[in-house]
Amino acid sequence: MISGLTPLAVTSVTTSVALTVSMGLVLIAVIAWLARLEDVRSYVPTSDIGGGAGHTEYGHEEKPGGITRWLTTVDHKDIGVLYGVYSVITLAWGGLSVLIMRTELLDPPATLIQSTTYNALLTSHGITLLFLFGTPILAAFANYFVPLLIGADDMAFPRINSIAFWLLPPGALLIWAGFFIPGIAPSQTSWTMYTPLSIQQPSPAVDLMLLGLHLTGVSATMGAINFIATIFTERAEEVSWANLDIFSWTVLTQSGLILFSFPLLGSALVMLLLDRNFGTTFFTVEGGSPILWQNLFWFFGHPEVYILVLPPMGLISIILPKFSGRKLFGFKFVVYSTLAIGVLSFGVWAHHMFATGMDPRLRASFMAVTLAIAVPSAVKTFNWITTMWNGRLRLTAPMLFCIGFVSLFIIGGVTGVFLASIPVDLVLHDTYYVVGHFHFILMAILAAVFAGIYYWFPLYTGKWYQPKLAKIHFWLFMIGSNLTFLAMILLGYNGMPRRYATYNVDIGPVALFTDLHQIATVGAYLIGFSGLVFLWNIVQSWLEGPRVEESDPWDLAQDGLLTKEWEWFDPQQEMTLADGGSEARPPQSDDDTEETT
Amino acid sequence: MSTTEDDSTDGHSHHLPAVEDWPQGFGEASWWPFVTALGAAGLYVGAGLFLLGQGDDALVGANVGPATIIAGVVLFLVGLYGWIYHGFVKHYWSRDAEDSTGKLRWGMLLFLGTEVATFGAGFVYYFFIRVGPWPPGELPDLLSSLVLANTAILILSSVTLHFAHSALRNGNRRRFAGLLGTTVLLGVVFLAGQVLEYYEFIVGEGFTLSSGIYFSAFFGLTGLHGLHVTLGVILLALLSVRTLYGHYSPERHTSVSTVTMYWHFVDAVWIFLVATLYVGAAFTL
Repeated sequence: MISGLTPLAVTSVTTSVALTVSMGLVLIAVIAWLARLEDVRSYVPTSDIGGGAGHTEYGHEEKPGGITRWLTTVDHKDIGVLYGVYSVITLAWGGLSVLIMRTELLDPPATLIQSTTYNALLTSHGITLLFLFGTPILAAFANYFVPLLIGADDMAFPRINSIAFWLLPPGALLIWAGFFIPGIAPSQTSWTMYTPLSIQQPSPAVDLMLLGLHLTGVSATMGAINFIATIFTERAEEVSWANLDIFSWTVLTQSGLILFSFPLLGSALVMLLLDRNFGTTFFTVEGGSPILWQNLFWFFGHPEVYILVLPPMGLISIILPKFSGRKLFGFKFVVYSTLAIGVLSFGVWAHHMFATGMDPRLRASFMAVTLAIAVPSAVKTFNWITTMWNGRLRLTAPMLFCIGFVSLFIIGGVTGVFLASIPVDLVLHDTYYVVGHFHFILMAILAAVFAGIYYWFPLYTGKWYQPKLAKIHFWLFMIGSNLTFLAMILLGYNGMPRRYATYNVDIGPVALFTDLHQIATVGAYLIGFSGLVFLWNIVQSWLEGPRVEESDPWDLAQDGLLTKEWEWFDPQQEMTLADGGSEARPPQSDDDTEETT
Repeated sequence: MSTTEDDSTDGHSHHLPAVEDWPQGFGEASWWPFVTALGAAGLYVGAGLFLLGQGDDALVGANVGPATIIAGVVLFLVGLYGWIYHGFVKHYWSRDAEDSTGKLRWGMLLFLGTEVATFGAGFVYYFFIRVGPWPPGELPDLLSSLVLANTAILILSSVTLHFAHSALRNGNRRRFAGLLGTTVLLGVVFLAGQVLEYYEFIVGEGFTLSSGIYFSAFFGLTGLHGLHVTLGVILLALLSVRTLYGHYSPERHTSVSTVTMYWHFVDAVWIFLVATLYVGAAFTL
């Protein structure tokens, strides 16, 4: 197939090679990190295997050493770390793919990549970040902290927990296969995989992607079953429904959503595979119709939005009060609104289909429910703001990201309420306004993830991160996000359609489009750079950061806000310190803590 | 899952979830999930390779896919065998079962919840086409005596399984074993009946998966259900084997109750399926 390449095709091949190489470098870097990480965190040092002599961190040998430990672990904390490392890799690829796209959009014509490459990157960006990053990174937090927060020994099904993780890497490889198997074009279906396009695309990369998505869906479903069973049956005696923490509430609701949405998507994916390869009529015009795909996809897809946002809301609800010096305002109402969102989220899916010519009566009822679901989200937002009101705010990195979450979420939410209204939606449908709106929500989710990573960094690493770098990360992230996505909102108001690789046509004010696209690209690069700062900070601090000396590193006890996971941390600390640690500890001073920096 | 308490120094009792598993000697390590995941991945990669091996410009040989699928399935079963053996079977009488009964029942209940959604997508397709012009072309004779007999057999199997479980709880192991064996037999007969029906439709009358909009629903839903019955028969057979090895008593019968839940669910899906896909397609109001 290499014979007779056009210059454009050469560019495309070069781009693919460049992509593959950069991807490979990221992977190697992460593997190198993982290898070192393994050394640092092994409970049983290599020299002690089989000997059983040295008592290390945990005082007994529950796990083998070396890479075997990570392949065989059924410990929820280890599996949480695995989920986290995996998510960092997928986040890197998701971010890299969009940076190539944003670079292409600097000028109206196609200069850097072909439109087919753009489509492939667009597809991979969405699928990767929603399926391979979004759900797993939340599973990372839930795995590590739900059992600690509810006082459980482990998850209800530790082995299922392990297999649920190990299905993810092969799933990711299948999804990305189109990029590295020579001779086939990567999937260009966009993340929504709308039929008939997704049925008619000849590349087998689409089939591989569907198989990979099914596999990751199985993984997510097993995780959800496990979380629900854990929260229902494994709570410690003193943890009742009345005092269950807010993060576990959101994970419970999220798992309930996964329970009914992911299997439905799984079946729809299999039906699509059959349509593509075995001549069935599930989504063909003469059979179930392309609209059936949209109905099934969004019946999964809209709950998926809340699957992604509920646990981050839980993270904010648990972290933000800690640095406000107060308990969460209106705890009960945050729980009720979480449950309300869980129920309502299954009744709003058709707002993605307002422009398909559906029955106006149905359309109006979906509009009503969509407007209604904004209420519980607003309840939460006001509760967070009220929690901070008159509080003793400590602007640590996790707190900054919490506030960042609230502000990004407000913009994303308010722009969403406009889209919920049918007449406005019909004007803004398929423009960059939609892209800007949902990316504000997604960046808010990312901010909550960062808040969680920084807040619990002392707990899962035993080290301190570098506060200065964390604050640089925050400001680059916030400025970048607002630049990029406010520019997209404006692009949408001016009628720039989404998903286009070029805009060198007479569809609107091209000069204005160019300016706004350039602003968006600058913002995207700021976000990308902030990601590098983050990665450096985390990796370097994990390896060489100063040890955490106290079991209450955030001084939460003074406000009576010390939660169960830090109580668990306490004996771990005592054991480590009594042990003397395996490395020489750096001199300690108060500078280690964030507040004094 | 087998659990045991370790000798933690902090005085807080901590259950180790995987004391029997390989690699041995650790409480929190097991190869089985990893092996099982590799097997499952082989299944999916094999399916992908199979599709890559189709057509004139196939990228891989036509046999690569099926071979990978077979290897994957074998690995998957090996993993599952070790998992069940070390987790449930090896120290059946000594492990602390009180602790795990509740969560295993919860797990099965939640799994059945996901099954509602799995079947739901197929039924939604059927209802989408069913509200359109009907019949959508030529349909075979759907309400044959075979379907009625098969339905009766499956319902009967739920009844026998229920009474098998009651017998076990009343301490009558003999009766339990007999009724359990009967249930397995009825499940196998049902599957044979389904194969016969497929044979008559495909070979006898020439209706296949791609014969039209009804047959996508028919083969899709009955095929999905057939896979579930097959899994159910395998699970029941596992119960039977463990019964022969002397497992289960009135106090310890968690897996009997979870498999019973599954079997009744599959039975209920079949009744719904017959009511809509067979009867609902044969009659037009």
